[in-house]
Amino acid sequence: MIGFLTLLKREIMRFLKDAIDTIAPPTISVILFLLIFGVGLGSRLGDVHGVPYIQFMTPGLLLLAIVRNAFLNPAYSLFQARWYGNIADFLVSPLSVEQIALAILLGGVARGLVVGALVLVAAWLLTGITVAQPMWALGYALAVAVAFAGVGCIVGLWTRGWEGVGAIDTFVLDPLVMLGGVFYSLEMVRGVPLIEPLTALNPFTYITEGFRAAMLGEAEAHVLTGLVLTLALGVICVGVVIALFRVGYHLKA
Amino acid sequence: MHTPAISIEHLRKTYGTLVAVDDLSLEIQRGEFFGLLGPNGAGKTTTINAIVGLVKPTRGHILVLGLDAVRDYRRVHRLVGIAFQELILDGSFLNVREILIYQAGYFGIPPRRARAKADELLERFGLWEKRSAKVQELSGGQKRRLVLAKALIHDPEVLILDEPTAGADVEMRLQLWEMLQDLHAQGKTILLTTHYLEEAERLCQRVGILHQGRLVSLGPPEQLARERGQAHLEDVFLELIRSERS
Repeated sequence: MIGFLTLLKREIMRFLKDAIDTIAPPTISVILFLLIFGVGLGSRLGDVHGVPYIQFMTPGLLLLAIVRNAFLNPAYSLFQARWYGNIADFLVSPLSVEQIALAILLGGVARGLVVGALVLVAAWLLTGITVAQPMWALGYALAVAVAFAGVGCIVGLWTRGWEGVGAIDTFVLDPLVMLGGVFYSLEMVRGVPLIEPLTALNPFTYITEGFRAAMLGEAEAHVLTGLVLTLALGVICVGVVIALFRVGYHLKA
Repeated sequence: MHTPAISIEHLRKTYGTLVAVDDLSLEIQRGEFFGLLGPNGAGKTTTINAIVGLVKPTRGHILVLGLDAVRDYRRVHRLVGIAFQELILDGSFLNVREILIYQAGYFGIPPRRARAKADELLERFGLWEKRSAKVQELSGGQKRRLVLAKALIHDPEVLILDEPTAGADVEMRLQLWEMLQDLHAQGKTILLTTHYLEEAERLCQRVGILHQGRLVSLGPPEQLARERGQAHLEDVFLELIRSERS
């Protein structure tokens, strides 16, 4: 257990010691989104589903912060350790491959939740938002962080270059999240060509709506729909990560 | 009969059509100082990486103190310390002392004992003054000593050193030789790969010469020289490699 906790501590210290590059930028960018789209433009949009627009978009932004940070930490940590070769420090230790995989994955979960908590505090200060169902919201945030930290681990193992992580972030995660109802509800884009079908087909829409339901108390989708989707994604990703570590994918020659 | 420190049985490793190690069988006894020699690409690094599980054997078995290196990898890793040829150090955000403390932690050593062990090794390897420095601030010799200290953090019974003096100047090489002789005198089994035949002659009780993945000669350096009517191991090595090539 000491070995596992040491590696987990390493993964957490890795982003905490470099907070100016890891924690500050995503927190500041979400605060800017809140200020510009929420406080600025949002005041002209009126209420959405009975809440001011800024409060409506806050759960989506929170989810965006959790997803990206939970993904980026293990993706870069794993690839960096492979690139510089210090992954061998863990692989020649008595840690089991499952312990290594889980410690790196949980490091991503920790970063996702730390940034998420900071964004929530900022949102509360700016909008006075409160969480309608705290336990559901926390469980949701945790499940999302686990699922996307799993995606990060898979990408960190798969990529052969630094650009691989950025490419997945830009070409997969960003469109998935941006077209997943962070800034709008399905109702708001009803009849809009391309956007409506893309949003309706995007599983992330139901994850966002579920989280919105947990935070605001109401949304277009039931809280359980998104949670079931998130848990399924999490189970698949964690399973794939452990399987890849067991076979030594891009870890052992 | 004593269990050998390392027992390699019919090890074969291929990468596509390239045969890196070809039916290698070898026993290294407990407390022995053993040298694995060979030209570049002979299979030395592949062999030692297979012992610590970084290379998956295509065929064959490796036992470390009687434990299977694949099946019992976690117990094997407790018994083995490895210093890689490349100066691999987790220096992105850790300082020298922290590198050793974290490494101790991976081996399950509790924090207080990890700090004490790290400090002891920093003193022993002349790195105490550099304990708060980042890896990038260390000289090549200091990095090499840190890599060696890291391999010793969990007090392993078997120490594997891949080209431990590569790139070292004469003074540093002599210092490292002295350190290795001390470790051997303390009872550690040492498996060393090297390009420097003088190093092998001076330190190793037995050497194995690899060529194109095959073991072409095995024995004490002076015996190998005597059998082939040569004065030095270097002459034996050159003769063997040339005869293998022709």
